[in-house]
Amino acid sequence: MIAILGLAIGVVVGLLVQPTVPAELQPYLPIAVVAALDALFGGLRALLDGIFDDRVFLTSFLSNVVVAAFIVFLGDQLGVGTQLSTAVVVVLGIRIFSNAASIRRHLFRA
Amino acid sequence: MTLLTELTRRPLDPSYADAAARRAVEGDRRGAVSHGLAVLLAALLGVGVAAAALALRTPTAGDRQARALLEHQVLEKRDVVDALEASNARTASEVTALQESALRSSDPQLLDRTRPWAVASALAPVVGAGLRIVLTDAAGTADNPDDLDLRVQDVDLQVLVNGLWAAGAEAVAVNGQRVGPTTAIRSAGSAVLVDLVPLVGPYTVEVIGDAPELQTRLARSTAGQHMAMLHATYGIGVQTSSVAKMELPGSGSLVLREATVPDEALAAAGLADAPAAAGVRQSGADKEGDGS
Repeated sequence: MIAILGLAIGVVVGLLVQPTVPAELQPYLPIAVVAALDALFGGLRALLDGIFDDRVFLTSFLSNVVVAAFIVFLGDQLGVGTQLSTAVVVVLGIRIFSNAASIRRHLFRA
Repeated sequence: MTLLTELTRRPLDPSYADAAARRAVEGDRRGAVSHGLAVLLAALLGVGVAAAALALRTPTAGDRQARALLEHQVLEKRDVVDALEASNARTASEVTALQESALRSSDPQLLDRTRPWAVASALAPVVGAGLRIVLTDAAGTADNPDDLDLRVQDVDLQVLVNGLWAAGAEAVAVNGQRVGPTTAIRSAGSAVLVDLVPLVGPYTVEVIGDAPELQTRLARSTAGQHMAMLHATYGIGVQTSSVAKMELPGSGSLVLREATVPDEALAAAGLADAPAAAGVRQSGADKEGDGS
């Protein structure tokens, strides 16, 4: 719970301060945001399942973002950056969809 | 297939279940320091996500760089064009001066005959009294930038300039671009081109001639009616004033497209009936045919 509170505070601070992202990190931002979304949906589902855990949420969030960015970086170095990005988006997208379906079952019982 | 099955069957991170099981067995042993670290880390991640989202919404640095580069190139090329145009005009005036000095010594009569032609063909700059007519876009163009009816269009300038010629104008210029016999007034997009030079409003039409005479004859003509209609219907500004002294620039050099040797010149050279003369004229006609 406390992790979600901290995340919300961080988002508000980020929107107010508007920090600039270094240009070298720019190519990894889209994938990192998708990975963050995946972690968010996973956390929401765990919350509804009653097994939410701050530590697991934060580690999955951080590792998702870092691994996604690293895969894109690796792909860029190997010359298959766009293909690997697509692969990451497909995998994370499927997970987001199944988690969203499960959240929907929890909320609307349908 | 294992990957896809895993993804669709168990989309939730298994560590959530592990952590829940461990907590059930061992109980929650985490203290205040651990919670503080968690909040700090979460806040940092939130800032990062917000920054990433903001950075993705604004145009990237690459776009801005490309845009700045293009702007720079456009300005640079415009400077080059200006310099070339200036040198062109200088050379043209040198050519005219040389032609005049050459003719003055060899054939002053011919010079006197060609001078009016240089004015009529808009080649030579002229100074004199005349009219200045300023056409301005209607007031509502800022609200309706796409409404062409509120703008001064190429057709309006064409009608006005043709009406001025018919009213006895000796020389006409639009925004400093001299209008000659071969000058086209047309549009490209919303810009009006005079002699292929894009102009922006307000359009100042300067005309040299007898000002009162021009004004009355213009008012009686269809061009005058067109101007009155533009003013009354669309609110386009038409201001006419007479000017005691104006300077209209020349339009540079003309391109020679066709040339024949006059018959009297051939006779004077004793070549009137010679076959060579016919050959010369024939080849001249051929060249003209190729060029068109």
